[in-house]
Order: sequence, then C-alpha cells, then structure tokens
Amino acid sequence: MPKRRFLGCSFPVLIVLVVVVLALTVISILSGALGQALLGDMGLPDWITVGRPHVQLPADGIFHISGFTVTNTLLASWVSIIVLVALAWAVTRRIKLIPSRLQSLLEFAIEWMLNLCVDVAGEKNGRRFFPVITTIFLFVLFNAWLGLIPGFGSILIGGTEGHQVHLLRGANTDINMPLALAIVSFIFVEYFGLRSGGGLRYLKKFINVGQFFRGAGQLIRGKVRAGVVGVGMGAIDIFVGLLEGLSEMVRIVSFTFRLFGNMTGGEILILMMFFLAPWVLAIPFYGLELLVGLVQAIVFAGLTLVFATIAVTPHEEAH
Amino acid sequence: MDAETMKLLAAGLAMGFGAIGPGIGVGLVGLGALQALGRNPEARGPIMTNMILAIAFAEAVAIYALVVAVVLIFVA
Repeated sequence: MPKRRFLGCSFPVLIVLVVVVLALTVISILSGALGQALLGDMGLPDWITVGRPHVQLPADGIFHISGFTVTNTLLASWVSIIVLVALAWAVTRRIKLIPSRLQSLLEFAIEWMLNLCVDVAGEKNGRRFFPVITTIFLFVLFNAWLGLIPGFGSILIGGTEGHQVHLLRGANTDINMPLALAIVSFIFVEYFGLRSGGGLRYLKKFINVGQFFRGAGQLIRGKVRAGVVGVGMGAIDIFVGLLEGLSEMVRIVSFTFRLFGNMTGGEILILMMFFLAPWVLAIPFYGLELLVGLVQAIVFAGLTLVFATIAVTPHEEAH
Repeated sequence: MDAETMKLLAAGLAMGFGAIGPGIGVGLVGLGALQALGRNPEARGPIMTNMILAIAFAEAVAIYALVVAVVLIFVA
C-alpha cells in the first residue's frame, strides 16, 4: 500500500511546511503596520519592520542620453522587449514538426490569439489584424507580468535627481506607455478603416452631410415638406457623425486610463498590503495582480480588434 | 476644514461614489452572461469572451474614479 500523501508531500514534510507558513505569517503580521499598531514598539530589528510606503506616480529618471531622460519604466519596457525577442528566437531556432515543450507553449498562445482574431474579424481580416493585435497583447502581458517577478523592483540605484530610485518599474505604470499603445491602436484602426473600400466612404461616417444638402436642394426647388424633413434629418445626421468622430478620439483617452489605472492601482494596492503585513496579506493580491495583468492585456488587444472590425465592416444604411 | 483634509475627503468620496455604478454594471453583465450560459451551455466560448470585454468596458469607469482619487491624494 503506498504511503499516504498530503498534497503530494509525505507527513513530516507537511508538518514542516505548515510550521514555516505559520511562522512567516506571525513574523509578517508583527513587522507590518498591523502588528506595530496592535502591540506597540517591540524593538524588532530594522531590516524586518516595514517603513511607510512612498508612492511615486511620475517615473523616476535613471540616466540621460544626450538630453533625453531614460526612466526606470522605459528600462523595464526594454527588458520585456528583450525577453520577448529572446523567447521567440529560442523557440524558432530549431523549429520541429513535433514541438518541444517551449515551442508548444508558444504555439498555444499564438493559436489562441489567431482564433480570437478570426472569430471576431472573419477569416481574411482576422489574418490581416493578427500581427499588431498579438504584439499589443504580448507586450502588455509581459510588461505586467515581468513586474511581478520577485526582485524586479528591489534593485536601487542613484537616480538623476540624487536620491535612491528603483532601477526597474513595471512599464504599464508610467502613463506614457499606455498612451503610446492607445495612439498606435488608434492609428491601426483608422488606417484599416480608410484602406477598406476607399478613404471617402470611411470618412462619410463622420461627416454625414449628404442628407442635409439633399434636403436644402429640395427646399430650394420648392418641395417644402420633403425639404424640411430632409434638412431636419440631415442636421441629426451631422450631429451623430460628429459624435462618432468624438467617440473615436475619446477612445485614446479611455484605453490609456483603463490600462494605466488598473496597473497603477494594482501597484499601489500591493504596496499598501506590504505595508500592512508584508508576506501574508500580499499573496492573495499577488494572485489578483496576475489575473488583472492577463485580463487587461486581453481587453486592450480585444477592444482594438473589435474597433478595427467595426471600422472595416461596411456601414449598413439604417434609413 | 483645511485643504489637506478636503483633499482626503474628496478622494474618499470620489472612489466611493464612483464605484456604485460600475459595480451594478458589472453585476448586470454577469447576470446576462450567466443567463445566456444557462440557456445554451455550448456557446461557452463566445459568451465568456464577450463577457470579459463588456466587464472591462464597465470597469473602466471605476478605474477613472480611482485615477481621480489617486491624483487627489498623491499629486494635487
């Protein structure tokens, strides 16, 4: 009869694990702000007690390249680019028909994204949209997840302003990176909208003056009733067109703040949980941050895909 | 009441009131998705994908409120 195993470990190992987890929980509660409030000053050594968290919204500069400040978030985005390129190179270096483990992992991700693109945008458009959408997805995902690796934010270095700053910080927490991605996605959507079916047909969605001028023409020619109705509907059409154009512009703002707010909010949340009770309270929120990073990457790429599909679909005349 | 206290109060109110609408909205999206899933369990893939997208749209408004609160506390 095989030995009884709890969660894959034998009984002594389980006891050791439970004791270690309990000890860590007690130490973390004591050294965080909760313990300090409940039990007063216990004289714990400096390296255990947690100081007040210092939240920094604008990213700190690290060094200058001829007048251009390189911030720690820019450095982190370079790191994630290097990681992505290295991963792709390592997998395609010796690509096999029966894939190795890393190759099948990447194939799973790529195939999932391709199915999403083809499901939403149709067969032909799905393949055309696939490169940019998958790039956006992988870039946002690796930016978010690399920031969660232990030790990522721990390296301190002297910054440009003199005080100690973190060497690396998650790239999505700097508002410039989500803004850049939102502008890229906007240009992507507008380009494919203008390219499909000619530029004028796409712009007619926003500048919809046809009905208005038709109505004015009818008024001039003497058909009063049809003319007035035409002018009225035309005015509504112009207004709706302007509103659609405005909502295209506002999309940039909403993409930016959705990604920035989720990532910065998550960072501040984990910071506060570290302040309250360093190890035990931070673990559930770490899991939440993993999920939020994945969901935000899917949402950014998926929403860009949906808007691009709407832009290339011919506009059915409702009236 | 000095400015510092007002800022903290405003941050709390911004996030508090700003979370009511999106909370109800996300719940409604979940209701629709679960009802659709109950009627047609085979359409699980498209239902879940569209549900995630709709939840992200609804939650973005709560994130705007969070950004306002964070800016009030740490920047302004």
